[in-house]
Amino acid sequence: MKLQSNLHGGGRSFLAAMMEEAEQDTSPAPSDQNSPSPSISSSPSLSLPSTPSSSCGPPQAATPPLCVISEGVSELSLVIDAEVAQLACQEVLQKVKLRQVDDDVTHLQNGAGPQAEPAIAKPSKIREEDDPEGLAPGSVKSARRRQRHNPSKQSWLLRLFESKLFDVSMAISYLHNSKEPGVQAYIGNRLFSFPHEDVDFFLPQLLNMYIHMDEDVGDAIKPYVVHRCRQSISFSLQCAWLLGAYSSDMHISTQRHSRGTKLRKLILSDELKPAGPRARRDPLMLTPFCPTAAHVGGSGPLGGDHGLSPSKRTHQRSKSDATVSISLSSNLKRTASNPKVESSQDEDSSSSYDSLEFDSGPPVRLAPQREFIKSLMGIGKRLATLPTKEQKTQRLISELSLLNHKLPARVWLPTAAFDHHVVRVPHTQAVVLNSKDKAPYLIYVEVLECENFETSSVPIRIPENRIRSTRSVENLPDCGMTAEQRAGSFSVVPNYDNDDEAWSVDDIGELQVELPEIHTNSCDNISQFSVDSITSLESKEPVFIAAGDIRRRLSEQLAQAPTTFKRDPEDPSAVALKEPWEEKVRRIREGSPYGHFPNWRLLSVIVKCGDDLRQELLAFQVLQQLKSIWEQERVPLWIKPYKILVLSADSGMIEPVMNAVSLHQVKKQSQLSLLDYFLQEHGAPTTEAFLSAQRNFVQSCAGYSLICYLLQVKDRHNGNILLDADGHIIHIDFGFILSSSPKNLGFETSAFKLTSEFVDVMGGPDGDMFNYYKMLMLQGLIAARKHMDRVLQIVEIMQQGSQLPCFHGSSTMRGLKERFHMSLTEEQLQLLIDQLVDGSMRSLTTKLYDGFQYLTNGIM
Amino acid sequence: MSQVEKKAGLLRRTSSSKKPLKEKVVLMYDEIFAKEDPAKNNPRFWDELFLMKVNLEYLESKLESVDGEEVQRIQDNINSLFHHCVQALGEEHQIKVVNALQTLCALFRGVHQKNKSASGFDIINMLMGFDKAEQRMKDLMERLDSLLCGDSSESLKSLCLKLLLCLVTVTDNISQNTILEYVMINSIFEAILQILSDVSSRGQHGYDAVVLLALLVNYRKYESVNPYIVKLSIVDDEPTLDGMGVVVHQALTEYNRQYKDKEEENQGGFFSTLTSMVGSMFIADVDEKLSVQTNEAILLALYEAVHLNRNFITVLAQSHPEIDIATTPTTPTPTTPTTPLGTTPPSLDMMNNPELPLDPNLQTSNLLITFLKYASIVIQDTKDEHRLNSARLCLIILTCIAEDQYADAFLHDDNMNFRVNLHRMPMRHRKKAVDKNIPSRPLVCAVLDLMVEFIVTHMMKDFPMDLYLRCVQIIHKLLCYQKKCRIRLHYTWRELWSALINLLKFLLSNETTLLAKHNIFHLALLVVNLFNMFITYGDTFLPTSNSYDELYYEIVRMHQVFDNLYCMVLRVSTNTGQWKEAASKVTHALVNVRAIINHFNPKIESYAAVNHISQLSEEQVLEVVRSNYDTLTLKLQDGLDQFERYSEQPKEAAFFKELVRSISLNVRKNVSLNTLSQDVLLKEFSTIS
Repeated sequence: MKLQSNLHGGGRSFLAAMMEEAEQDTSPAPSDQNSPSPSISSSPSLSLPSTPSSSCGPPQAATPPLCVISEGVSELSLVIDAEVAQLACQEVLQKVKLRQVDDDVTHLQNGAGPQAEPAIAKPSKIREEDDPEGLAPGSVKSARRRQRHNPSKQSWLLRLFESKLFDVSMAISYLHNSKEPGVQAYIGNRLFSFPHEDVDFFLPQLLNMYIHMDEDVGDAIKPYVVHRCRQSISFSLQCAWLLGAYSSDMHISTQRHSRGTKLRKLILSDELKPAGPRARRDPLMLTPFCPTAAHVGGSGPLGGDHGLSPSKRTHQRSKSDATVSISLSSNLKRTASNPKVESSQDEDSSSSYDSLEFDSGPPVRLAPQREFIKSLMGIGKRLATLPTKEQKTQRLISELSLLNHKLPARVWLPTAAFDHHVVRVPHTQAVVLNSKDKAPYLIYVEVLECENFETSSVPIRIPENRIRSTRSVENLPDCGMTAEQRAGSFSVVPNYDNDDEAWSVDDIGELQVELPEIHTNSCDNISQFSVDSITSLESKEPVFIAAGDIRRRLSEQLAQAPTTFKRDPEDPSAVALKEPWEEKVRRIREGSPYGHFPNWRLLSVIVKCGDDLRQELLAFQVLQQLKSIWEQERVPLWIKPYKILVLSADSGMIEPVMNAVSLHQVKKQSQLSLLDYFLQEHGAPTTEAFLSAQRNFVQSCAGYSLICYLLQVKDRHNGNILLDADGHIIHIDFGFILSSSPKNLGFETSAFKLTSEFVDVMGGPDGDMFNYYKMLMLQGLIAARKHMDRVLQIVEIMQQGSQLPCFHGSSTMRGLKERFHMSLTEEQLQLLIDQLVDGSMRSLTTKLYDGFQYLTNGIM
Repeated sequence: MSQVEKKAGLLRRTSSSKKPLKEKVVLMYDEIFAKEDPAKNNPRFWDELFLMKVNLEYLESKLESVDGEEVQRIQDNINSLFHHCVQALGEEHQIKVVNALQTLCALFRGVHQKNKSASGFDIINMLMGFDKAEQRMKDLMERLDSLLCGDSSESLKSLCLKLLLCLVTVTDNISQNTILEYVMINSIFEAILQILSDVSSRGQHGYDAVVLLALLVNYRKYESVNPYIVKLSIVDDEPTLDGMGVVVHQALTEYNRQYKDKEEENQGGFFSTLTSMVGSMFIADVDEKLSVQTNEAILLALYEAVHLNRNFITVLAQSHPEIDIATTPTTPTPTTPTTPLGTTPPSLDMMNNPELPLDPNLQTSNLLITFLKYASIVIQDTKDEHRLNSARLCLIILTCIAEDQYADAFLHDDNMNFRVNLHRMPMRHRKKAVDKNIPSRPLVCAVLDLMVEFIVTHMMKDFPMDLYLRCVQIIHKLLCYQKKCRIRLHYTWRELWSALINLLKFLLSNETTLLAKHNIFHLALLVVNLFNMFITYGDTFLPTSNSYDELYYEIVRMHQVFDNLYCMVLRVSTNTGQWKEAASKVTHALVNVRAIINHFNPKIESYAAVNHISQLSEEQVLEVVRSNYDTLTLKLQDGLDQFERYSEQPKEAAFFKELVRSISLNVRKNVSLNTLSQDVLLKEFSTIS
């Protein structure tokens, strides 16, 4: 309803925005994007073109109705649009700095933006011209034509806003810079038309503005946030966490009454639940209007289908998260062998199913995930109290095994890129990471990928005991079954309660007899020797073996064994990280009762408790932005931004970098120089493997050198630089960036870390690769300079209301801007790069700092 | 109630002042034991009866004193009493329920006391009457079930369990307790599970529930289909299984703690050790003081769970922070948060969760570790019957664990390292190991340590052959797993080798005395085959190539023992006698060991001669070994990596029958004490009502 209408209103929007507040209370939950609003009943097929429902089909599905809408809307906008919007925009335009316009022009010149923008409702003036081709909605062609046709008639700003080049990044920038409520409200509405992923990237900025900027900005942002919260649990939680984290720098008294805190409370109270019941009750009415939405509504009952088996007396553990929570808490006596309890359980669940899944009360929607995160944080806090690594590791394993009892559940890892349910934490694989007083830890998480974690049914628990699960697997006729079918067949196996009488002591005896078969089968695979002994049994001919052979085999096998790190109770993570990821996945999958599912995946995450990850998040955003800039400009710099999840001002999660060990660990284990290590790992200098590793190394070095320079990343000891299996280096730990540096020891004055070992890997200071390195840096800097604002705005917005050490002092932004050297010519820039490289190479401080780290932290 | 009593007292005083004062309830009992139907004159008789405080002694003695003929006469009244007891269990009035429960207790006990020799059917007839027995017992079990599962008071639940324990243990041999047939039909298994799955009820009744379950599982185990066995074997609900684990864990921890306290008491310092040594010359022995009553019932429960339920194995590895019961006596120590994700409103008490105390000094522990510690105490002293049984049961449980693939997996898991402080017997020739220096290792190392410890400490005249066999078999099973899965355990195998060689030595030197009682050849064969495992399959599981050399070194160093063993078995196998067969097996098994000795001994001697060294150092011998492998040929023996799987029937049946009998006696003794002191309970209810 009004949310949709906002979307279309190019300029009509702030009026709508004003109406919004009024409507907010009276209107029922805006039930997805599809309920026809009385006010725009003339365009019944209104649907949100650009808000692809995260849960279902391709967003394009919504395009067909779009053309119809455009016409309907343009009629409407004729009424509202013209005067108000354009007046406002033009006024604003005067205030907008010229620089921005220039920038925009460059944008325009740069040609097509990467993403095909969905068509925006057209302002009245160009309506006539577009009408003829109104049936080709959203096409690039029409967009271009629009631009071509009205350069003179319209204000630049409005034109820009409506151009297809206007992307989220620009929207955020204008939202931040514009003082004009009209523009802000307009952009607030425009947010709805951007793809979710694009906006999600700027969520920290949006929310920080919401918290720390004035009413108007807040009002402009809020509808969008609320709308998204209604759609998605993960978005809701993400918002709640970020709101909490970015409000924390406020004074406690203001914080309590701040907008951010209020919104956070609103989200956490889960009043922003989707209007599912309506969707469910009137699916027929909805379908014609929005196929996608109908799909969402439909997937509710669909998701329920496999749970709707109260007649079957199975003990499916989870018909829905609702039943899980009920069955585990209030009714613990539920056991497989307890038919009495079981049946009553089924009644419970079937009745509660409807009520909870759809009219979900507060606990059900958000709580499992919150509880999951809370458990992980609780573990971290308790680990921190233990004195030794060994104790921490033991405690971690035991805590995680308890956590396993509550899985599978409707919980997920927010750092993952796909929808899934967490089914198990292989607790013995978890390791405590090296840290002096905190206890960050790395866990591996087994998940089952699913279509949508909110609607897909939670997998059924399979007991830890491997043998039982093997039996279950045997009973699976086909691996390609859907989850529901599998659920059905699984329940067959443990479903003994139907006929207890059929079980006798003999049956149990049989089960036990089965075991040795499994044993021998598996042992045959593993050991040739047992085969030997079996054959010798048959032949009865004495078999002779040479003692020397046994001894030789022993030493050979020991030598063959992959070079793992030695288990060191003081550095438990080294072993875990050294193991190649594929190897680890295979091993864990073998040992997991869920491993046979085709949609089984292994994820890992670092849980940090007591650490502020907001700076890391900021660094991630900058890195990501630079990465996409370099991609856009086709500069082959390589960097690896790793995902950061900020949970609060002192906790969060980090996505670990795969197949990478720190330079410190490399050096300590191999006792080789970096070049020799490359030779050992990738082969002789002329081999393709080495050359490509070297190229990777150079490209990543160039990328990170620039980043270290631009962001002034400090604390660059070898423990904070990883080397991956392909030769890339990856910098981690952005705890000291911009205005902050560790302990102010005055070390690390060089622009970035470039040791002679690095240069050696590149082939020496006179080699081609080294020149390539410098050239890459130059290209990278030029590209970054071109899009400087995209980087600056990320940082600038986050500075708002922030007490983070990286914003310490007043010159943070100025300094950052200066490092882009807008005023220099390309020749001058080249000179600058040469200076930086030379300075870093010659810099004693890098060496000094490494020495300092070795003395204080034992990092080589 | 007190009014009724007062009235009764007044009445008595006026009417029969001469007679000794009798409680009203006693008078009422008398009425029951009279011919007449007590309700005939007083229609409210039964109502009143259950308002009276039960006089258990009187009722029981009355039942005992009834002789044959009288039984027939009063059977109707007893049937009626039983019937009304069952009825009263459904009463709202808690006092009546309490009294009915106790009366039932007295009935079961009294009737059995009287009819020790009588058949179960007579007893059933006397209590309930044949025709109504089924219905009565069904009612009784249903009432008990609903009392246990409902939200009645905790004391009431406790009393219900006591009644059930009383019923289960009235006969010495549980399988002869015919009434239990009805308990089989009307299962209370679910009620027991519910108690175990709930944190608070587990804390208060868990122990009784677990013991009751262990006993019920043993009812006619080998003769019929026991539904409790079936049900226990398929439980897969983690909170429940975990609950069971926690109860066992606590009981064993408590034992370990008591033992440690006593030990510390006894070894308070140099002086006290001295005095106790002196004292021990006069007083029986020190060990007496150290022996804390072992708890076979809980051990039996652990065994049944491990043996019957495959899912329980996971509970063994379920870590709990070690709980010091002494410091937290009141709070039941829950180990599994029963609230799943998402039900509890997010709580801040995650940090001060009582279940996971923050004391950094607490070592994380799990049921298996606690059990290993317990076992290390129990196997120290196997002199008296109880402790021998406990030790045997411990080893049986370990056998089951060693056979389980999942258990083996976590025993050998390199990521799960623990320090396990096993108790070691103080011996003359060794100091007590310093606890703190035990390295953190995979759990299987602790199991092996325990086995080695047992082997070296039990070479005595009264040779526990059975335990030795189990012990060696456990080692064998673990080795088979390691070989199969190619797990190279970093364990000091040398200690095991020398322990085994010493065992062979002991067998040799005590041949005559031992042969009178045991088949020592069987044990010798197992031991030699352990060596054969190392010799022929060492490449698959030894941790370093050096360890293979060390094995040869050890064999060559101790060649005398193997030589003597060979002479002995050769001698016996050439003679005709009952051991001929067994001994000849050992001769065959020794083939590789002898080949090694015969191959390397001359080489070493010549090396010494060539280099003019009289005493070769270890390194020199190892060098000789290393350089002479290639000329040695070994014979591959069959079936070294095969083992007979543990099965309770028929081999262990007799042991378990005896064990259950002794547990029954013990439980009965303890239950009777408890039921008699129900004043507290009554007080509680009189305040309620």
